[in-house]
Amino acid sequence: MEKKYEKVLKVVDVWKSYEDLEVLKGISFELGEQEVKVIFGPSGSGKSTLLRCINMLSPPDKGEIFLSGQSLMASEVDLNAMRAKIGMVFQHFNLFAHLKAIDNVSIGLRRVKGLSKEEAHIKALEALRRVKMAEWANHYPAQLSGGQQQRVGIARALSMEPTLILFDEPTSALDPELIGEVLQVMLDIAKAGTTMVVVTHEMGFARAVASEMIFIDKGVIIERGTPKHFSTSPKSERVKHFLKQIDILYGRHEELLELPDEDD
Amino acid sequence: MSNTPDIFTIFFYILTAGLPATLALTALGLLLGFFLGLTLALMRVYGGIELNWLASGYEKLLRGIPLLVLIFIFTFGIPGLFWYLEPLERPIGGVVLALALRSAAYQSQIFRGAILSVHPGQMEAARALGMSRFQSFRHIVFPQALRLSVPGWSNEYAVVIKDSSFAYAVGIIEMTKAALRISANFPEIWALSMGVVAILYFIFTFPVTKLIGERQTKKLKDLGMGGG
Amino acid sequence: MILQELPELVDDILRVLGFWDQLLIGLAKTMWLYMWALLIGFFLGLLLAILRQYGGRVLSRISTGYIELMRGTPLLAQLFLFYFLPYSINSLLRAEGLPYIPIGGWAFYTTTEIFGRSLTFVFIDHITLIGILTLGLNSAAYQAEYFRGSIMSVGTGQLEAAQSLGMSRRKGIFHVILPQALRRVIPAWSNEAAYLPKYTVVVFYIGVTELFAKAHHIISETFLTLAAYIVVAVIFLVIITLISKGLDIVHKRTAIPGL
Repeated sequence: MEKKYEKVLKVVDVWKSYEDLEVLKGISFELGEQEVKVIFGPSGSGKSTLLRCINMLSPPDKGEIFLSGQSLMASEVDLNAMRAKIGMVFQHFNLFAHLKAIDNVSIGLRRVKGLSKEEAHIKALEALRRVKMAEWANHYPAQLSGGQQQRVGIARALSMEPTLILFDEPTSALDPELIGEVLQVMLDIAKAGTTMVVVTHEMGFARAVASEMIFIDKGVIIERGTPKHFSTSPKSERVKHFLKQIDILYGRHEELLELPDEDD
Repeated sequence: MSNTPDIFTIFFYILTAGLPATLALTALGLLLGFFLGLTLALMRVYGGIELNWLASGYEKLLRGIPLLVLIFIFTFGIPGLFWYLEPLERPIGGVVLALALRSAAYQSQIFRGAILSVHPGQMEAARALGMSRFQSFRHIVFPQALRLSVPGWSNEYAVVIKDSSFAYAVGIIEMTKAALRISANFPEIWALSMGVVAILYFIFTFPVTKLIGERQTKKLKDLGMGGG
Repeated sequence: MILQELPELVDDILRVLGFWDQLLIGLAKTMWLYMWALLIGFFLGLLLAILRQYGGRVLSRISTGYIELMRGTPLLAQLFLFYFLPYSINSLLRAEGLPYIPIGGWAFYTTTEIFGRSLTFVFIDHITLIGILTLGLNSAAYQAEYFRGSIMSVGTGQLEAAQSLGMSRRKGIFHVILPQALRRVIPAWSNEAAYLPKYTVVVFYIGVTELFAKAHHIISETFLTLAAYIVVAVIFLVIITLISKGLDIVHKRTAIPGL
């Protein structure tokens, strides 16, 4: 069996602008097999754009993207085939509204990978089982809650057996009580060895499975390190400020509000 | 071939001989349609079941009959109509009536849609201040509804001015008839004259629908007003 | 004045209905024109909408130009333009001494007998062809706008998701965007489909014997002007209402939750 010397993903000095606005300014990082990389930072920092550069939905202006050693920017590359190897889970789910859950998951297998209807159906059902949505296979997206829809979205990406999966703020559009079920699924697949790049501010998830965390602000990587590094000794002021904002989001804001002591 | 009108002559003739009637028919049709249409819209929104049903029936009736049939009914079908007009002017009466009745049915829908899309909170707030239903409508809902109607209304204008071309056969010299007249004896420019008149209609419809219609829609979006 | 004449009017209407064979042929012609115009308009309109939305700069502009031009000019002017074109071209060719295009003089028709009356229906001839083409090309522009609206309402996220699975843009448009867009367009499209029969009367002006033309035929024999027009108006009303209700039922049957 050949040993893979190549990293699964290599992002090399990527730059991207929209009109006059420079959104990404020289981003570089690498991702090995079974690694989970968490990218976080303030909104507008270019994180979503970065993911779309990786799967070439919106190609970088400058820089290189390598998937298992192969450059995605070369002109002779079949982008569709490459994209089939990269899964994506969207903030707004983007489930195909006219298809039942099972068909949402199987359509890629049928139309892109060319599997027969029966084979695709079996694999799709497997994927739905992994995300615990098998009983809802025949429901339409509109009949599912946000958390359920996102889990189907994850199943859709999983069923393609991609080299890696990109997650674009998968829980940001969810009601608080539904976030848990999606994070649980993500934890499960991370522990099962899926290679993931996750844009999120769910620090608990990051602490549990991330091999490295990268903080991006205004298109530049400010700091990177293990989850332990960030929770114990973040260096940059901007990072510290951001982490404090996250704390407030999750209700740990006793200091800030100067809540009265119990004795008063 | 020496005295075949050239494209400029055609253009100029259609403009001077036909445009006045076209604009007059359009303006009158739209105006009368406006008042009737507004009334129908009010009947449907505030009128209660019977009035709603009546207005709705009117709309269905006028939308289901071809305009050409309406024009012929009023110009040739009812001899006594427009007794007060000169015989030569009667076709104008017939065409305007047909255009107005038809336009009213469509304008009614535009206004009804606009009124309904004014945020209900607006009416609530007005009543809370102590205004009567009528005052609330007149000062708060109506002004907003009018603005919301502009895109739909600019579209209706385009429809009516194009429909005015059907009047060519009943003895009114509007643009289409003018185009036919100038090219009558010259088969080689029949198609050309139709092309020219088409461009002329286009000049009078496209800028209006593009600028007024789309700009207003954008302005409304920016203001965050109802609509859509 | 009108109230006194009502019983007389009813009589007149009954006499007009005595010409049911003519009315039937006229109606058949109207529906024939309508059907072809709707079909041509549907496929061409869908193509135009897709080109406008996904076609790239050149195709998108051509499509937009066509749509705006057809929608901004009267149907009658378009009809006359296409009708006169062969004649004008011939005129110019003749002047140069060149051979000219033959126009008209051909027809495909069928004759049948119903209840003792002989009915002849012309499937296609020179003027019917021009009529169908004009109505189809015109309807395509209006239908294109409906399709464009529904395509846009599907949202870019859907195409992104399709591409992220590895589907090419073409596959994404065909398997993901279109099925949704076509279902969403049904209410608005039903509007166009239900009212299109009205517009077929314009071909009366180039001599096609559809329903409205038949009314004139009846008038020339009976002088019952108002009655004839009323009968024709009511027939249109009934047809349009039936089509409208029918499409409503289709809409309810094909509903998918959330679309």
